[in-house]
Amino acid sequence: MPLPAKAFQHWLHVVAPNASTADICRISGIKRTTLAQQLVRGKVAESTLVSISRALKRSPLADLASFDSYAELAGRPLPPTPAELVSQIATMDLLRAVISRSAPAYGGYGDDGSALTPALAPAPHATSVRNWVDAIDDGELRHRVSDATGVAPQNYSAQLTANRLSPELAVATARAAGVGFTGGLVATGLLTEAEAGWPPEAKQAALDALSDGELTALAGERLQALGKTLRRQEHEQEQTKKIWENLG
Amino acid sequence: MIAILQWTTLAVCALVAIARIPSALRGENRSIFGVFVLSTVAILLSIDVSYRSIDAWLGSENYTNLILRFVVYGTVLLAGYRIAKAFAARKSVRLIAGPAGMAVLAVIGIATVILFLWADTAGTATGLSGVRDRSPQNAALIESYAAAGRLYPAYVAVCILPATFVAMGQQLPRTIRIGALLLTVAFAAMASGSFFPLIPSEVAYLQAVINYTAVLCLALGLALIWISSLMAKRELRLNPR
Repeated sequence: MPLPAKAFQHWLHVVAPNASTADICRISGIKRTTLAQQLVRGKVAESTLVSISRALKRSPLADLASFDSYAELAGRPLPPTPAELVSQIATMDLLRAVISRSAPAYGGYGDDGSALTPALAPAPHATSVRNWVDAIDDGELRHRVSDATGVAPQNYSAQLTANRLSPELAVATARAAGVGFTGGLVATGLLTEAEAGWPPEAKQAALDALSDGELTALAGERLQALGKTLRRQEHEQEQTKKIWENLG
Repeated sequence: MIAILQWTTLAVCALVAIARIPSALRGENRSIFGVFVLSTVAILLSIDVSYRSIDAWLGSENYTNLILRFVVYGTVLLAGYRIAKAFAARKSVRLIAGPAGMAVLAVIGIATVILFLWADTAGTATGLSGVRDRSPQNAALIESYAAAGRLYPAYVAVCILPATFVAMGQQLPRTIRIGALLLTVAFAAMASGSFFPLIPSEVAYLQAVINYTAVLCLALGLALIWISSLMAKRELRLNPR
């Protein structure tokens, strides 16, 4: 559920008492019409709050936690598990790690987390949402989220496939899995890793802790999923091309 | 109400046909251009005003009605074949343009001509209304002639309906899916033509509504897919990969 407009305006008045709506939009990069529409509808998107909080150099996590529906985020958040951290590493970075650990004959350095390997790309990545849910799923997670929120499993899956998850569902998923609340917010790109309070080297450390077997199996799974997605896209493109060739 | 539907359909078909002239001159998909020209002609031949003037010119024997039937057959054949190929429905292509489809077309075409010549069709009457009341035998002949005229479009529509229906739910660009939806509505309406005798005479206007809905949806669906292909081409020209 997005934030109630009334509470949002109260928050805005507290954090930026002298700023006009135009000022807020200018510094945060939100279109005035977008903000006006959200206020008229009575529901302000969490991403709007985060953008403004970021522009005011405040903590988006703490500001989000000041709203009733996100009160759970307050206090010291549970740190992300190693599996969650690894899920936020882009597939190409995982493959690069595989090569980096290989023998020099194959272009590698033969060690873990070599200083010569380029730094990991920041989260989120192209399949970060699905990978995050897969990383914390014990097999029954989707059912528990569906029972708790009333969101149909197929709608939930559709969001994961589109690499999207509403902040509310991300928090509900974390709650149902018993992990820290920040994982989903990072995976969906609402918060950066730093804003979520993740240590800067956490992802690299989790990657280095993987054995060669674990890393290779994981990279293989990711590669297989990527291949499936690419093949489906190619098939769709071919179909579209054929339709346009014949009817265009 | 019917008049609005008729003239709207005519306007849509004629406008798209005109809009496609440049691409037809360049040799791009002339058969789709043909579909729009033929449907424009078919609607002209079924609107009262134009039917009367054309038939008067042709000798007031209602030959215009016979011509209309064959214009419809041609439109349906061309559109059905192209759409089946576009949606990669090999079975539909075979059923429409293969030996089976040609046999169906030949039988229905010959039956249409024989029934028309057999019946007494002297005079000019849009939709042959009034002509059938001349004798019970004439009524039966005209009824069979009209049924034959609806049978071929229904055959093609049934052949292709599964392909456009499946395309609606596939992961394709949205405009194509909406186009497939419009085509599905058009073919469903065409296929229902075989059941016209079941429509009670008090609501006989439903026949006209269904017929024009079919043509309108066919034209709009094809036009939408065409526009989406133009937009994609423009996109590619502006941001070449």
